Amino acid sequence: MLEFTYKAHCDLLGKFKIDTEYDIVTVRQTIRQYAKDMGMGIVDQTRITTAVSELFRNMYNYAGGGEVLIERGEVENHHALIVTCTDQGPGIEDIELAMTDGYTSGQGMGYGLPGAKRLVDRFEIQSKLKEGTTVRMMKWK
Amino acid sequence: MKEILNIKNTKERIDRIEDILASVASGDMDARINSEIEDDFSGIEAAIDLLINDLTDELRQRENMQKELENKLSKIQDQQKTILQQQEDLLELSSPVSKVWDNILILPVIGTLDSQRTQVMMENLLQKIVETGCTISILDITGVPTVDTQVANHLLKTVTAARLLGAECIISGISPAIAQTIVHLGIDLSAIRTKATLQDAMIFAMKQNKRADEVRALGNLALPNEKTD
Repeated sequence: MLEFTYKAHCDLLGKFKIDTEYDIVTVRQTIRQYAKDMGMGIVDQTRITTAVSELFRNMYNYAGGGEVLIERGEVENHHALIVTCTDQGPGIEDIELAMTDGYTSGQGMGYGLPGAKRLVDRFEIQSKLKEGTTVRMMKWK
Repeated sequence: MKEILNIKNTKERIDRIEDILASVASGDMDARINSEIEDDFSGIEAAIDLLINDLTDELRQRENMQKELENKLSKIQDQQKTILQQQEDLLELSSPVSKVWDNILILPVIGTLDSQRTQVMMENLLQKIVETGCTISILDITGVPTVDTQVANHLLKTVTAARLLGAECIISGISPAIAQTIVHLGIDLSAIRTKATLQDAMIFAMKQNKRADEVRALGNLALPNEKTD
């Protein structure tokens, strides 16, 4: 569904499902650990953890859950931690609007998606109505 | 030269084999042919008996394994129940609000703030504010590893609710990493009074207390002065 912007080979670190609020916590802890293992500093660890937390919450709140793929690879001469979130939810009607600060279709603050984008080095989002949404984020080491 | 097979009662014995196989197929694993006649056919009968034996063993083994698996499953289900129970217990335990000084409440938050927990936390805090009449409460989030927009939103709501009850909230324990993250997320927490450490928050709260006392003392002084004038 999503066009890869990277062609380099990357190693799969893990594949998880987000079905409950509890999963959000455990998977983001796992990602924090991967970030730490890659040698990221505390600030970068916190950034990637917070960014994925935003996406997991979106998946949980709007799509009833989804799948998370965690990879590690070389992108544009950087060591990158790559997190891909896929859901089969209702999809996002207007991605540009969804990426606007302060806009929310639900009860949130409207900073989740644009905030997450600012927290990582690469952010790609694709969505199709009634089919789902895929978001891929990368954080350089 | 043609060999002649030596088989007695062929018809009856084939019938018996059919009967035995039928009862085995229907679940009677104790049925055996157990032929007492020794001739060219008895080898086949014995082989069938052996096959039935093997089959019986396999089936028993499978049943045992199934039982074992079921036991393990029920054990896991029990453990899961315990975990859920403990999570609920933790929810109650994890939001203690205590009065640490005149007029000052502290709510240390440790771990993850989900919507359910924040609800309990907010209820506890508001309840305590009403009970004690304290006007300053400190929310210490030193033990919260991740502050995303949802957590920030919960914090803002809690502070607003406390303010409606006449209590000022101070949030302390925001680490440098979390501070940077909040700024990148674009969340505006300027409506909330924040302090770096619990100690700073405590000092600030006590200064507020002192100021309130002074204002009260001034009021007491002012009153007799007005009368004499």
